[in-house]
Amino acid sequence: MIGAAHRRQGKPCQDASQVCQVGPELQLLLVSDGHGGSRYRLSDVGSQLACAAAEESVAALARTLSLQDQDGWRRQLAQELPTAIQQRWLRAIKEHWSSQAASADEAFSSALYGCTLGLVLLSPDWWGCTGIGDWDLVEIHADGDARLVNQEQLSNATGEATLSLCQSEALDAWSTRVQLQSALPTTALVLCTDGVRKSCATDGDFLQLCQQMLEIQGEALVQGLEEITAQGSGDDVSVAIAQRSEPARRGKAGVLTALGAAAALIAGALWWWPKAPDPLALEIQQLCQHPERIEASLKQRRQQFLALKSSPAQAQALLDHPERDPLGALIASSAPGAKAEPKICPALEQALRAQWEAASETQEPSRAPARP
Amino acid sequence: MPFPNVRLSNRPLHFIYLCDCSGSMAAQGKMQALNQAIRQSLPGMAEVAEQNPEARVLVRAVRFADGAAWHLAEPTPVQELQWRDLEAGGITAMGEALELVAGVLQSPPMEERALPPVLVLISDGQPTDDFDAGLSQLMRQPWAQKAVRLAIAMGHDADLEVLQQFIGPEPSGGGKSPRRPLQASNATTLAQYIQWASTAVVGAASMPASRLDDTPQDAGNIPLPDLPPTLLDPVDDVGPLVW
Repeated sequence: MIGAAHRRQGKPCQDASQVCQVGPELQLLLVSDGHGGSRYRLSDVGSQLACAAAEESVAALARTLSLQDQDGWRRQLAQELPTAIQQRWLRAIKEHWSSQAASADEAFSSALYGCTLGLVLLSPDWWGCTGIGDWDLVEIHADGDARLVNQEQLSNATGEATLSLCQSEALDAWSTRVQLQSALPTTALVLCTDGVRKSCATDGDFLQLCQQMLEIQGEALVQGLEEITAQGSGDDVSVAIAQRSEPARRGKAGVLTALGAAAALIAGALWWWPKAPDPLALEIQQLCQHPERIEASLKQRRQQFLALKSSPAQAQALLDHPERDPLGALIASSAPGAKAEPKICPALEQALRAQWEAASETQEPSRAPARP
Repeated sequence: MPFPNVRLSNRPLHFIYLCDCSGSMAAQGKMQALNQAIRQSLPGMAEVAEQNPEARVLVRAVRFADGAAWHLAEPTPVQELQWRDLEAGGITAMGEALELVAGVLQSPPMEERALPPVLVLISDGQPTDDFDAGLSQLMRQPWAQKAVRLAIAMGHDADLEVLQQFIGPEPSGGGKSPRRPLQASNATTLAQYIQWASTAVVGAASMPASRLDDTPQDAGNIPLPDLPPTLLDPVDDVGPLVW
């Protein structure tokens, strides 16, 4: 959710969050918070690419490392996985930078895309986490007890300083955030960017808020996040939640006895489900509710319009993963000739049409025949 | 059950003036100029606070002369503040003023979620007590380390070296910088500096953005806005050279 202060200033949301399945029995929660300030002007892109890099890296690891090898996963969370994520992210941001008009005049710096990253892995028997920066993780037990189990602790931090994905020298710091523990006592996990905790009067209120989030979903959660940022820190606020489902009923367990323990284990394993609303619908809703933001948001994506105009095949990648870049997915879905255009408000429709027309006009000179 | 059903809170931004009220401030209208500058800056400060509702701007002031005492002890929302004039008389217990501020920058009473405070030290002379001890006590507080610390030198008798020590490491390179003592030679320039500190700086401190934990020592905590161009060369700026 974009922060109230960012909305007022016409800045983009610099947070990204994601929940996904990366293997038959492995799920992933991700949050990333792009740094603010003019030094980090592409951090909204950085945070989205960070989530994508993390998903790809964990998926690649899951293909080679058994979920039963908890020691192996713990080692990976501390060292190899952070390195893999950071390298993927650096490649992705360099690729993005090369498509920027400013790259001709300005030197590349990974700080431009600087962001934090927190990830939680969920398997049938254990959950684990790692990451960098000022995200928070709350664990909730069946008795309702909520505890802050992971947070950034910098000894010499000044003000809003945090460690970042763009700092290769900070790779060692990931190991201080590594946890891997049995899934059993945990009923739910709430992973947040720092804007949530900073919006609460005290840590006690923050823990209570996390407990309340388990009872809320869809539109109510979205509106609640809006209120949190508006009345609190004004910062972007993002959450990724995992919650254990109810155990199988006794009758069914009796019937499935032949499959026995395996079935029960599988049923017990599939206890996580994402709590994020449809990202594309959410993006449309936010823009249509705040039409004053539409022009600025689309203007920043001018290069994306041009890229999609010249290479329509790129649209599918955006549409397949709307959670990574909801605005990009919206732009892709609105392209002339798109199979199914989403329902949007007139202001947004008009603004998108104007951008597509501008993109066509920009491309026209290149199609002009050469003079003899 | 309504959601969210917890206490949400914007973040307090403590703005503290440390004002020299020594006898020399009575000369050449300096005390009146300071009172006037602070009073005139309040509407602008209140407007910045309105524009940044995520921050709750709370003002206090310390006066120091023979000793140091709170002139405005209670953190007061800027919108409610009515400035009571300071009066000059005595010597310059600057060190004691820093100790007084150190006391309120401990946790508690500083809130967990507070924004980095803004401290503005204003003086026309040299400390007459143990400045080093006071500064040392202040800088032992993490909140003082996080604070934006500015200093305004009124006239050319102010001790720029101690004011620089209060601000922090001197920035590299020459020229005017908000991280060096701001030298006000007349009432107009003083008023402009106070206005800048109470609006532009408060605005910047109200919306701190997360940043890398690798900022150089002399860069400070909050990226400070540039000084307005008219303040770059105050000696030959508007208004007569007075102090």
